[in-house]
This record gives sequence, structure tokens and C-alpha cells, in this order.
Amino acid sequence: MKSKEYTKQLEEYLLEKRNAHFRLAYSYVKNDEDAWDILQDAIVKALRAIHKHQYPEYINSWFYRILINACLDFLRKRKRFISIEETDLETAIDHYQDLDLQQALDNLPTELKTIIILRYFEDQKIGDIAKILDLNENTVKTKLYRSLKLLRMDLEETIYE
Amino acid sequence: MSKDELIKNNHSLSDLKQDFFAIQPPERLEKRISKTISWEIIKRRTKQYASVFSLCFVLFVGGLNLNESFAMAMNDVPIIGAIVRVLSFNFATLDTGNITANVETPVITGLTNEALEETLNAKYYDESKALYEEFIKEVGDPSSFEGHMGFDTGFVVKTDTEELLSIGRYYVNTAGSSSTTFEYDTIDKKEGLVITLPSLFKDQTYIEVISNYLIEEMQRQMKEDEGKIYWVGDSEIEPFERIEENQDFYISAEHKLVLSFDKYTIAPGYMGIIEFIIPTELISELLVSDKYIR
Repeated sequence: MKSKEYTKQLEEYLLEKRNAHFRLAYSYVKNDEDAWDILQDAIVKALRAIHKHQYPEYINSWFYRILINACLDFLRKRKRFISIEETDLETAIDHYQDLDLQQALDNLPTELKTIIILRYFEDQKIGDIAKILDLNENTVKTKLYRSLKLLRMDLEETIYE
Repeated sequence: MSKDELIKNNHSLSDLKQDFFAIQPPERLEKRISKTISWEIIKRRTKQYASVFSLCFVLFVGGLNLNESFAMAMNDVPIIGAIVRVLSFNFATLDTGNITANVETPVITGLTNEALEETLNAKYYDESKALYEEFIKEVGDPSSFEGHMGFDTGFVVKTDTEELLSIGRYYVNTAGSSSTTFEYDTIDKKEGLVITLPSLFKDQTYIEVISNYLIEEMQRQMKEDEGKIYWVGDSEIEPFERIEENQDFYISAEHKLVLSFDKYTIAPGYMGIIEFIIPTELISELLVSDKYIR
């Protein structure tokens, strides 16, 4: 009975936040199809967890964790196929106006990129980000500061090259 | 970081933010999410139903209500002596361009245990029927249905020796992306009985022994091949911990135990359906006998 209620709750949450979830996945893989595969993986995994009576306290941070893990799973798999993906990547980058900055963001370690997306694009609270990434708040702040610094340094390098 | 730099940074970050929100999720995203959820629930229901069915198959003998065309198909089957054969019965095909469905049901003939044969065939038939009906319900009115939806269920004979028959039924649905499950029945032709996983072992210690082996094996494979990912280890949210008592399995023609995991259960979707051959030496002490597995 309980798992039914949670499934319902999860469905409402997923539908409400669908665009944010999709964009997050998309920003890692840069194409619709892979972004959907990742999101679907995450949804099925979340449903299975609920079915096994693992009920989250905070659905948002819980699901984001699952989603980010699904992204990481996917990226790890793709690392092997970089040569095939190169052309895709070029077209994807073409599409961005702020080419250098976008590249700088993409070149950040995945965790730092995630923190930037969650904090600055989605306006999530430091406390929530800490829960999603299973870190304490101070670590998130330090990492956030580090990412901003890296982004800036990266930009400077491009400018003065 | 100086104040100027921070302002510069914030300015450029807002550019990035714009790019982020310029990502246009597909229009059908909402539908796809709902579909993924409802299919997951349907599959779970069918699976529960199937396992209950195979556990008490003896109780279900008699009073089976097969539809007419099915009964006719059965009558057309020439039954030759005691040769066990698996025939394919086309339960339904549907193709409207954007909706496609193909439902093939296995029909076993020639088992000496006729009650068992009848029960299994009825189970396959009922399952196909239930799945197809769910699919039709899901699609709703085909004339107003947008997008593509496909449904395919059928079977493969994994093992067919003098002694053993292993049939695997699969379900594939393509609502944007595909998901697949496999379910097996392994039958001792001579004895006329269905072999369950627990029935192979003296007690339940196999669960732990096999689970530990699988965790090690998954970690080994991941180390060896970067493209392989299994959900094992402490960093996982929902790691694989142990197999189920009635984990899907079949026995290969080489008398090896093969465990099967549905898509998404122990690894990301792109890994598909996963099979592990269990080394016999690992479990030989735990087996009731070496009749089936050696």
C-alpha cells in the first residue's frame, strides 16, 4: 500500500520536474536520445527502489542522486567510444554561442560541473546540493569556489593563448 | 578573487545559464515518463503473477479455458509418440504503422506428464493474453494515438536435450526506448516436472554463495572493461546485494547453471539483459545431485 502511494508521489514529482531533469542529463551528453536513456534509467531505478520499500525522506535530493549516478554510468561507458563521438561533440559545441565558456564548463570534473548546474542554473540550496552529492555543506562550498576559480582560469588561458 | 573578477564571472555564468535553459526537452517527454512508469508497474504485476503461477501449477490442472482458435491450433498439431516439441502459436499481430505488436506464445507438446503440459501451456497463453490486453489498454484509441509504440513478446528455446527443456519468454516494449525482461521454465522431460532454483539445492546457502561470487565477478568485469557497469559497491544507491530465492535461471545443454537478470535490475539500461554462468565447482557441494548440473 505504502509503495503505491510513493509511486504516485514519485510520478507527480517526475512530471513536474521533467524539464530540469532532462536538461541536467542533456548537459552531460548533448543529445536528446542519450539524455532520455539516462532519464529512463534513473526513473526505473527509482521505481525499483520504492518497490523494495526503500522510501526516500526527501524525494528531490534522492532522485537527483540517482539521476547524477545514471549520468556518470553513461559517461563512463561513452569514454570508450570517444573517437566515434567526436563528430557529435563538434556539432554540439557549434550550437553554443559562448563557446569558450561552455567548453570550460564541460571540461570541469563532473562533480564540479554538477555543483555549478545545481547551484547557479537551478538555484538549489547548498544544503540540498550537499544531500544530493552526499557531502557536507562546507565541502560543497569549497568545491563551488574551486569550480568558479577553475572556470575563470580556464577562460584566461584561452584568452592569453 | 577580486570583486571585478567575481562580477565578470557572474555575468558569464548567466550566459551559461541562458544556454542551459535554451535546452528544449522533447514535447513528448511527459508522455514518455508516464509510459515508463505504467509499463514498469505492468511488468511487475505480470512477473508476480507468473511466479505465483509456476509455484502452484499442480493446483491448477483442469478447468482450463482456452479460446477457440487456440484449441484449434492445438488440434492441428500432429503428436508423434513421446517427442517433446515446442511450437509457436501466434496469439496476435497488429500493425497500424505507428503501433506494432507481435505476440508469440510457446506451446509444448509431447510431455508424458499431460497435466503439466496443459498447465504450462495455459500459463503461457494467459500471460500472453494479459500482456496483450494491458498493451491495448495502454494504447487506448489507436486512431488518436500519436507517436510510436511497439510490443513484442515471444520465446526462445535455450536448451533442448533428451533430458531437459528450457524455454525463455521475453517481453519487449518500445515506448520511445525499449525495456526487456526474460522468464524461464526448465522442465525435466523424463520426470515430467518443472525444476525450480531452490529445488536444485540442499538448502538456502546457495543464495549467499552465488551472490558473493556474482559481486566479485561483476567487480572483476568492470575492472577489465571500462564500458561495463554493474551496480555493485558502496558508492551505489541501490547496489546489488543478493540474488532472489527464485532468481530467473536456466540450465544450459552443457549442464551449467545460468542466471539471468532483467534489464535495469543490476546495471544501467544499456547493459541489457545480463546472464552469468555459475561455475559448477562453486556450487557442487550445495547441489542435491549432479543430475542436472555438473
